[in-house]
Parts: sequence; structure tokens; C-alpha cells
Amino acid sequence: MMRAVALMLLATFILLPLVQAVLLSFTATLGRDGIAVGTFGLMNYAGVLGSPTLRAAIGNSAVYVLLNVALCIAVALPAAFALARYRFVGDRHFLLLILVFRVTPPVVLSLPIFILFARLGLVNSPVGIALVHCLFNLPVAIWILESFIRTVPRELDETAYLDGHSGVSFFFRHLIPAIAPGIGVAAFFCFIFSWVEVVFARILTVTAGKPITVAIGAMFGFQTDIGMVMAMTCLSMLPGVAMIWFVRNHIAKGFALRA
Amino acid sequence: MRPYDNRAWWLLLPALGLLGVVGALPLLTVINYGFHDIFTVRDVHWVGLDWFTMILQSDRFLASFGRSLLFSALVLSIQVPLGIAVAKLLLTCGRGAIWGLMLCALPLVVPLNMIPMLWLGLIDADTGLLGPGLAAVGFDYKFTALHTWLLILMVDTWHWLGLVVVLAYAGLSAIPSAYRQAAAIDGASRWAVFRYIELPRISGALAIVFLLRFVDSFMIYTEAFAISAGGPGDATRFLSIELGEEIKGFSYGQAAARATLYFLLVLCVVWAFVVAVRRQEREA
Repeated sequence: MMRAVALMLLATFILLPLVQAVLLSFTATLGRDGIAVGTFGLMNYAGVLGSPTLRAAIGNSAVYVLLNVALCIAVALPAAFALARYRFVGDRHFLLLILVFRVTPPVVLSLPIFILFARLGLVNSPVGIALVHCLFNLPVAIWILESFIRTVPRELDETAYLDGHSGVSFFFRHLIPAIAPGIGVAAFFCFIFSWVEVVFARILTVTAGKPITVAIGAMFGFQTDIGMVMAMTCLSMLPGVAMIWFVRNHIAKGFALRA
Repeated sequence: MRPYDNRAWWLLLPALGLLGVVGALPLLTVINYGFHDIFTVRDVHWVGLDWFTMILQSDRFLASFGRSLLFSALVLSIQVPLGIAVAKLLLTCGRGAIWGLMLCALPLVVPLNMIPMLWLGLIDADTGLLGPGLAAVGFDYKFTALHTWLLILMVDTWHWLGLVVVLAYAGLSAIPSAYRQAAAIDGASRWAVFRYIELPRISGALAIVFLLRFVDSFMIYTEAFAISAGGPGDATRFLSIELGEEIKGFSYGQAAARATLYFLLVLCVVWAFVVAVRRQEREA
């Protein structure tokens, strides 16, 4: 009984703001084109999908997040393998270093990153944002993948070598299938941290390439169509919800501090 | 035991290279800027430690530092126990736990700058679901400092509780059931089971939760600024809001010095944490 009440309270707390957003997203909040304020319908979604800027924003976000996730996994896999399988000079210092980068507040680095990326010609490009987001996603990916590789017995490495697999073919044919759930969980956490990030995404897109977060921010003005803002918010949550669904059985592996 | 092999560094090279470009290089730049007065990129003057002494001696800095510390302390003391409680609740739900975890993870996928908007919409006195009720009991986040704090704490808890729950659940569900059965046979109290069996097994997961939640709440910007912009009065002027003002005011040298200070503050906490975790690992 107590448990049911507690679960109900939790669900209410989490869902209430979302219910409000969904309700608003189906309501006309700014009268236009002969639609009265308060009408219930799909016009806000039609408005979002009909706007080239907002469509482009969804595309931009998708491109840099996918790039970021791919880059993080590709770079984190060998590093995680090294940390899980070997001891070497400075391994703990490396773990400390990535921890420090993970917790460095983005505001601290925003200014020099902008200047540096302006010189490299990476402003207004999804590549720039994808690179910068590695700062906080790469450590998380390394932690998660390392803990998954640790659970794979060393015998797998050794049998593969005896079977005549080279290091590279072992990596792709044996290790990656064995830790596929770990790659999923790492991709999930990289995805959410990158998808919702605002500070870097805003300063690195001055005139073009604006992602969803910045496009939503730009929708606030003298007369804000809050219904449309909420429609955009609900749409922007869909990929995240899909990601949660895909990793639901493995999400509970989580990650822990390695230092 | 893992073999000792320094060639493993080759595997770390891509990660190091990437972090060097997007992490170390900007960090060194920002520290360097902190010692200069910057008018334009070409018009730069060395000012030594002037910015640092100026910031450290100002009452505003100390006040915002205190406010940010208080905010972080509140965030941690609310979210960590609550997250563990929810994780323990979900553990008793069997297959249903997955649904609970997915529910808790939902707020994590909302774009950061929209989170305050969702809540402001919810408590809007005219159109919000909770608005009329809150207005009736005299809730006013715009002018009453206590209510502003409550709202920001509520919003932050809503957003990040899922992370605490997921990581705590991960640690708790990894404990073999034999441990709990043995404790039950010994007649251990629920508190004793938590204190001596569960807590040690989830300390690694909790350590990262503590660090991430500390840093993010200590440097809270997007949510707090959208809700109150530091007000009412100065009641919610946190450290990051001052930094944001300096960057917007093009006072780059001062902003860089301030950013360096903030980084050092965060670094101190991380260092203390790592030392504590390593000591615990040695004892275990």
C-alpha cells in the first residue's frame, strides 16, 4: 500500500510538468490564421514542421549528436580496453585527468573554446560542437566501457589469440559483440548529455548551424507562441525517449567513479 | 592480476589527443587570459594578479560563493537520499523496475533551457495546472526569496533525480541476493543492511553521483537564470551568474580570472574526493 502511494507520488512529480507541456503543445496559444486562442489541435506541430529554421535545427542537432557519439565510442574503446586489461605508468593519473575534464564547468572554457574554434574554422559547424562535447562525454564513455570490458573474462582474449586472431580482428569479432550492451549504455549517456547541452552549443553557433536548444531559445520574444515552443520541446524529446527504450534492459548497469 | 605493459599508452593516444585540443589547450588559454586585461584580441595588457585579488576581496564574490555552497549542500542532501530511496523502492518492484527507471530518466532528455520553461508553465497563475492552487496559498517566486529557492531546488531535483536513481539502482541491483538472505537470517535491521551491506557496494556509484551533482549544482546557470536572473534582490545570484554577466559585458580578462578561480575551487573538491575514495579502496 505504502509502496503504491510512493510510486504514484513519484510518477506525478515526474510527469506533471510533461503533461502540462504536452497539453500546451496541442493548444493554440497565439491567435493566427483564423484559429482562435485555446483551440485544441495539431497546429503547433504543423507550425514547427513547416518552419525551415526549426526543421534545420532538428537536423543540426541530430548530426552533431550522432557525430559526437560515434567519435566518443571510437576513441573510448581502445582507451577503456587499455585501462581494463593492463597496468602502466600513470594509469591512475589518466583516470584523474578525465575526471577533471568531466567536471570542468562549461562556462569556464566557453570563451577560449570559441576563440580556438574560430581560428580552426569550426564555428557554425556541427563538427565543432561534436568535438567540444567529447570533453564531458569521453570520460563517461571510458568509465562505462571499461567496467563492461572488465566483466569479459581474459580467457576470451587468450583463446582468440590461440585461434590466430590479430589484435584488430579480435577487437571487432569478439570483444565488441561481447560488450555490445555497454556500447549501448555509453551511447545513451553520451547522447543525453550532448542532446540537452546549451552553453557550448550556443556560443559555437553564431550565424548558422543552430541546434534545437538554441532554436527553442530564439523562439522567445516579444510575443512568444508558447504552444509552439512546447510542441518543439515535445518533438525534441522523442529521440531521447527512443534511446531510453532501446537501452532499457541495460541502463541499470550505470557507471561508477574510477580513480 | 593485470599485466604491466607501458605499450598500453598507445591505446590512450586518441583520447589524450582529443582531450588535449578541446580541454587542456582552452584551459591553459583561460588561465593565461586571467593575468591580462583584454580590450581586443590584439590589445592585451599584463596585469598580474590584479583580477584575482580584486575578485577575492569583493563582498559580492564571497556572498555568491556562500550561496552556491548552500545551494549545492541542499541539492546533495535532498537528491542523494531521495534517489537512493527511489532506487530501493524500485528494487522491490521486480520486472516493473525497468518502467520506473525509464520514467525517472525522462527528465534527462529534456533540453536544458526548456526545463525552467516547463516549470514556469506549470506554475503559471493563469494557465498552469498548479498555478491557481499555488497562487491561492500565496506562492510567489518572483518576489519571495524563499519561494524562489524552493522552485529552483524543485526544478533541479526534477531534472537530475533520474541520474541518481539510475546509478544507485545499478549499484544496488548488482548485490548478490545471498548477502541480503544472510543478513535476514542474522536478524539484521533494515538500517544495518543498508549501512553495512548496501552502502559499501554502491559507494563507487555514489561517489560519481556526488561529484557530478556537486559540480553541476555549484555552477548552475541555465535553470537559475531563466527562473530568477539572480533575483529577487540578490537572493539567487550564484557564482556562475556573475561569470555570465562579465562575459556578456565583454570584460574578458576579469571573466577569465574568475573562471580560473572557479576551476580551482572545483579541482579542490575533486581532489579531496579522489583521495577519500582511494583511501577507502585501500582499506577494502
